[in-house]
Amino acid sequence: MILIIGGAYQGKLDFAKAAFALSEEDVFSCTGDTIDFSKRCVDRIEEFTYGCVQKGVEPKTFFQTHREQWRDSILICQDIFCGVVPMDPDQREWRQATGRLCQYLAGEASQVSRIFCGLEQRLK
Amino acid sequence: MTYFLSGGAKNGKSTLAQNLAVSLAQGGKHYYIATMIPVDDEDRERIRRHVADREGLGFETIECGRHILSCLETADPDGTFLLDSVTALLMNELFPAEKNYEMDIQAAARCVGELTAFVRTVRNAVIVSDYLYSDAIRYDKSTEVYRRCLADIDRALAGVCDTVVEVSAGQVILHKGEL
Repeated sequence: MILIIGGAYQGKLDFAKAAFALSEEDVFSCTGDTIDFSKRCVDRIEEFTYGCVQKGVEPKTFFQTHREQWRDSILICQDIFCGVVPMDPDQREWRQATGRLCQYLAGEASQVSRIFCGLEQRLK
Repeated sequence: MTYFLSGGAKNGKSTLAQNLAVSLAQGGKHYYIATMIPVDDEDRERIRRHVADREGLGFETIECGRHILSCLETADPDGTFLLDSVTALLMNELFPAEKNYEMDIQAAARCVGELTAFVRTVRNAVIVSDYLYSDAIRYDKSTEVYRRCLADIDRALAGVCDTVVEVSAGQVILHKGEL
């Protein structure tokens, strides 16, 4: 599995498409608490975790139980960890749960890339 | 040589940018492009502090809150330009005060075009932006538009500049080229 992280609008998906020759059909873009691991690439995992938090599901546990399905995937998650602690309890839990998930995924990944202004920084 | 600097607030971007610009100029013309259009005393105080910071460094100040290419009507493109910051420039372009801060959605594409043309035209440029993309706030629509537009500009500038640097606690993380 390859994990790509970075701030909003930094070009994470564009990087993944170019680096791994992905087409639109290869990408599942999360919009809520459902996820499709049949695609080579899963984008916007932060939206999946947002949906999970609202349903009271721990995203890290979800990923652990579905490990076989994503072990060869390209996973993209937004870095949402550098701001002030959010006032809103849901957003606070979202940030925490996404952070726990990213640490777990980074541990499992064969490669971790951070995208900064469209440029790759290899973290692992 | 052209440099793009970004990073979090109060991490030393402006200081590094000033030092870079002065050393690039090698005693030649160097311009500080002042992008902030002050609207209140807080702005004027911030400008006063920045002016004091630059004292003795030999910068010629150009007031240019919009349309960055207009700097070149008076300045010598063979000089060294410090633009601090893209963030303020976009704010002026995207939410023009004289239009009651109503969003001008064409602004981002215009800024991308003008800034990339600027970087390609001048001999030396140091351009400073702000990294505001890694927090867990679900922003309102106009803030999201602003963040996206700024990121579009940042990515375009990171593409055309020779060197791209992220500044953190005064330290540099080199993403492209050399310092």
